Amino acid sequence: MMSSLPGQAGPPAGADGHAGEDLLAGYAAGTVDGVAVWSVEAHLTRCARCRAALSGHVDAERLAGNRSVLLVRAALPEGGWVRRLLCRCGVPDHLLRLIVATPSLRRSWLLSVAGVLAVVAGEAAAVTHGWLGTGGHMVPPGYLDPGVLAPFLLVAPLLVLAGVAAAFLPVFDPASRLAVAAPFSGVTLLLVRTVSALVAALVPVVAAAFVLPGPGWLPAALLLPSLALCAFALAAATVTDPRAAAVAAGALWALPVLLLAAAHVPLAIVQRNAQFACAAVLCASAVVLLLRHDRFDIGWTR
Amino acid sequence: MTLNVRTAAVRADGLSRRYGATRALDQVSLTLNRGITGLLGPNGAGKTTLLSILATVNEPDTGQVSVFGLDPRDAAERLEIRRRLGYLPQELGYHRHFTVAGFLDYVAILKEITDRRRRAEEVARVLAALGLERRARTRIRALSGGLRQRLGIAQALLGRPDLLILDEPTSGLDPEQRLRFRELLSDLPGDPVIVLSTHQADDIAAICPHVVVLLQGRVHFAGTPAELAATAAGRVWAAGARDARAHLSWRGGDSRWRHIGDNPPAGAELVALTVEDGYLLLSHAAGAR
Repeated sequence: MMSSLPGQAGPPAGADGHAGEDLLAGYAAGTVDGVAVWSVEAHLTRCARCRAALSGHVDAERLAGNRSVLLVRAALPEGGWVRRLLCRCGVPDHLLRLIVATPSLRRSWLLSVAGVLAVVAGEAAAVTHGWLGTGGHMVPPGYLDPGVLAPFLLVAPLLVLAGVAAAFLPVFDPASRLAVAAPFSGVTLLLVRTVSALVAALVPVVAAAFVLPGPGWLPAALLLPSLALCAFALAAATVTDPRAAAVAAGALWALPVLLLAAAHVPLAIVQRNAQFACAAVLCASAVVLLLRHDRFDIGWTR
Repeated sequence: MTLNVRTAAVRADGLSRRYGATRALDQVSLTLNRGITGLLGPNGAGKTTLLSILATVNEPDTGQVSVFGLDPRDAAERLEIRRRLGYLPQELGYHRHFTVAGFLDYVAILKEITDRRRRAEEVARVLAALGLERRARTRIRALSGGLRQRLGIAQALLGRPDLLILDEPTSGLDPEQRLRFRELLSDLPGDPVIVLSTHQADDIAAICPHVVVLLQGRVHFAGTPAELAATAAGRVWAAGARDARAHLSWRGGDSRWRHIGDNPPAGAELVALTVEDGYLLLSHAAGAR
């Protein structure tokens, strides 16, 4: 029996010790304050009569709506620890949902990236430590032949570029026509996907560079070329076909890497002069993107 | 089509579009009012191109479009059109690893429904409208073609659009689902502008007060379904045997031959006209030109 509702300043309890009709109606509508809610709920657990009276105040349509909403929420995937972490960092829920649709964040893609890196980095480590032959000439264990780094230097930024390209090329987004016809900003969508793909690809690339038997500055030296390539591909996509832009960016990296490897100076591609060149490409691409970003909102499906 | 141009919700003037050497649209002009307009035409007639232009996905080479008085060439006005648009492309791609509810949630975000509660309400509403509640947790790759088509229609209804563009919405639906779809469109609140393309003349006859026939990239007819059927008056007849004078002949369920042609024989038994008759005659005439 409920003799009173402590702290209750709103609707009064019934005179017979049960919850009054107004209180139950307010409780069902969600308009009573927190203390009254607790009191009513404590009383309802012991009183069948008030539970029966409460059912008369429940809006069946609202109840059905709430049930549907709960079912929908239960049907939505919660995501893994990365999603929870980003949520705690304040990334809005709806942006996280958009990121989920980024092809280069799928497990199969990330595993492929890890596999390629493991092969090229593993080969370099194996040759340097004398676990693999070097084609006839003797290399003392522990000696770093810069040539063994060439495959990694070629592949690492290209993997980052491929991840970003998969994030913005319409061919990788099966629902791209819906995205074009929707009001959500194409530029925002592009940025969200590009940044997430960039981070997802850079993490394993930099991690692999750390375990390579190369110079200690190599992980940091890969960042600027990777960013410059991705920015170039995006900027070029505002003036030409996005696929051609991605291929051009790949060629822009692959050709000098191969030429420098042939000249036995593969590390020059990430040393000082190359870093300046990458910085220039990055700045120029940023300017183009700033001026032509509206091209991502129209014209891609023509 | 007997529409008042001044009150037309959607208007297209002189739209042309080429893909290489192929002319997909050739000087297409039409107006659409509130209610359902059916776009009828064979494959390659330009229906998908026209609908994608109205949906702001594609641009015409020449011509103008006005949607609720807004010009899609202007970025701000194009955005406003998209806010009022529901679009089902002919070949809607899906993220196959998404669940049904997850896909609708994703599209709802693209439609700027970013509030979590409102999004869940909208997804629940369209799931119920298309009878997909029990499939909410099913992955898209596990859905049949008909269920995927219903999912496509459901995403188009998110956000209660004022302009609903449906490219072949009934393809893949079984007869019962097609009837439910007709019922759904007829019951949509708010009297939106609906334009749907189809090969099914009976869909047009059943739910569309207006019909546009597109052939070889041109509008060949615009009017009511009854007016389209009436274009075949005096040119559809039945007989016990095949008549070589007819453009088209087929044997019906009653074993009698139904003929469509310009010159029925004297004393021929003329039969009740259908939308399909009018459409077939128009198609034949366009093909002969």
